[in-house]
Amino acid sequence: MKKIILVLLMAIVSSNYANIKVVASTTVIYDLVKEVGKDKVTVDFIARGDQDPHFVEVLPSYMLKLRNADIFFRIGMGLEMWSNQLIDGSRNSTLKVIDLANDIDKKEVPNYKPDASYGDVHPYGNPHYWLDPENAKVMAKEIYENLASESHQDEAYFKKNLDEFNSRLDKKMQEWANRMQLVKGKPFLFFHASWIYFTDRFGLKTAGFVEPKPGIAPSPSHNAELVQVIKSKGIKTILMENFYSDSAPNQLSQLTGVKVVKVATAVYGLKGVNSYIDMIDYIVNQIIQNS
Amino acid sequence: MKKLLFALFLFIVVTVSTNAQSSINPDISLIGSFNTFTNFTKGTPEYGKLNFSDPEMELFVDGYLNPYARATANISYENNAFGVEELYGNIVRGLPLDMQIKAGKFLVGFGKLNTVHPHAWPFIERPLFHQVFFGEGGFNDVGINFSFLLPTGDVFTNLDLGIFKGRSMIPQSDSNAVDRGINPIFVGRLSSFLSLDDYTNLEIGLSASSGIYSKGNLILYSSAPIDKQERSFNYFYGGLDFKFKYAPDSYTVLTIQGEGILNHRDVPRITQTNINLVSASNQTITNSGAFIYADYKFQKQFSFGIKYDYTAGIIGDAPSFLTLNNDDKNSTQGIETWFSYYPVEETSVVRLGLQHLFFNYGNGTDRPAETTIKLQFLFSLGPHKAHPF
Repeated sequence: MKKIILVLLMAIVSSNYANIKVVASTTVIYDLVKEVGKDKVTVDFIARGDQDPHFVEVLPSYMLKLRNADIFFRIGMGLEMWSNQLIDGSRNSTLKVIDLANDIDKKEVPNYKPDASYGDVHPYGNPHYWLDPENAKVMAKEIYENLASESHQDEAYFKKNLDEFNSRLDKKMQEWANRMQLVKGKPFLFFHASWIYFTDRFGLKTAGFVEPKPGIAPSPSHNAELVQVIKSKGIKTILMENFYSDSAPNQLSQLTGVKVVKVATAVYGLKGVNSYIDMIDYIVNQIIQNS
Repeated sequence: MKKLLFALFLFIVVTVSTNAQSSINPDISLIGSFNTFTNFTKGTPEYGKLNFSDPEMELFVDGYLNPYARATANISYENNAFGVEELYGNIVRGLPLDMQIKAGKFLVGFGKLNTVHPHAWPFIERPLFHQVFFGEGGFNDVGINFSFLLPTGDVFTNLDLGIFKGRSMIPQSDSNAVDRGINPIFVGRLSSFLSLDDYTNLEIGLSASSGIYSKGNLILYSSAPIDKQERSFNYFYGGLDFKFKYAPDSYTVLTIQGEGILNHRDVPRITQTNINLVSASNQTITNSGAFIYADYKFQKQFSFGIKYDYTAGIIGDAPSFLTLNNDDKNSTQGIETWFSYYPVEETSVVRLGLQHLFFNYGNGTDRPAETTIKLQFLFSLGPHKAHPF
């Protein structure tokens, strides 16, 4: 009898501490959820850190992840076009789907009718906002609000975690801003049009893109134009996500001596990049070392 | 008062149409396909010439009806005629047991490939056993499908159970075939998906289908009035399929996929022939079909591959009430190779394919092998979604 009571008590206690089950579309969101939710959240992710988040295959295993989740956080703004099929496939009628872009100050929102002739232009604006650390705070706040809404009794706990994360991020932000003074105003070439939030934050100049249009594979004629751009503007660095092919940038490097710097733009995108702060640290270090 | 009502009407129309454009409208996509081909079969009008097929089109209209259900229409234009390829509603969430229900006309989940629209295949030619057992348009029928997720832990296991009208059964052109009547057929598929690692995935499936594929009169000819002997001809299809995909990075994908079918079916076989009477008896044949292909995509823009096909029966023959009983004696084999170029993502494809067919007749008929070279141009306009794994 005592054993039965003990088991019942344990069941009641454990139900009070039941974790919120969260799935994040990307590893950046995954890390932010871990920062805010810590041990009161069970979190998983869909797109790996070394994977292009624009193109994720719709796998049934991802549907399983969403099947038992309470909340699905995603970047939004049309980045995860694949996610609706996963949501439908999960059959989860109580799943909350939260786009973290809600309170983001969106950039490059087209003021024209975007069609495929412009390449992969996102109609709601450039969705790579997580590359600005200030936006990570906006994302973390949105995560906090939704976790708190899901588990009112843990609201103070989540708030404390959020404040701690923001405090650490603010300190690092100061450090990153100071270090990036060295390259402020310098022109850079980027592979894909994903850096507007980062360049605006740290004052880098965008001289051009290896892709002729967003999402369109590099071409020899465009590379020839870029050779002239690199020479005329004295560009020292091409910055690119590590999941893109470096074939075209390497050709430019051979022709002009420009350095090709591949960085992770997601958590776990490279060895040693195990958190959001690690990721920005890595990007800043690579830019400073190679410029 | 009339002016006020008119103004109110205009306001409502403008508001509704504005909202419809922005958020209520379904997704609309258009897939276009254009083929040119030549063959090396002497005696055919196409021999050695550049032949232009008429363009084909699929118009997809797809969207949510409400938070729980979607609807899809696929209007096709083939052989200079419009047709409804698919038209169905799909309740995707909110049902007991996490069930999903799909009702209408759609590609039936027998095997893995049949539910994938041909424009998304890496090759050009429909597998031979699909042509013999399902017809040129694949296994496409009107009915209801119930889909269940089974509790198998980290392995995604799905059970589909469907009941269909049977319109996809082989059309009977023989005068001795009779209307198959209201006799639904049953289709089921059990499939499991496993992620072997971050880059490698595998799905295996078992399918089954049974019912009445035809009805016919066993008295084929009689010089004197005689009672008809109508019989139902039953069938059973058993299927096995797998799909393996290895994608080590965003630019490289190796896909290996195969399917097999075992067909067990009643056939009328002529047993009595004389000047006054030709009659058949109901017998059973068992035969099979299978295909396997490998496609290797590299640098995101190129792919090449090879497919081997085998099927009982002869490709291109219009099946009739009596010729079906030769399907356990005749067979067709095929080899298809292709090279594809995807200029920008998957919005357009240029594909060069070669198919070589061998025919084997049980009665010793000698038919030379046929070789066809085809150049295919495909484009996809709009937000038509990629097929899941």
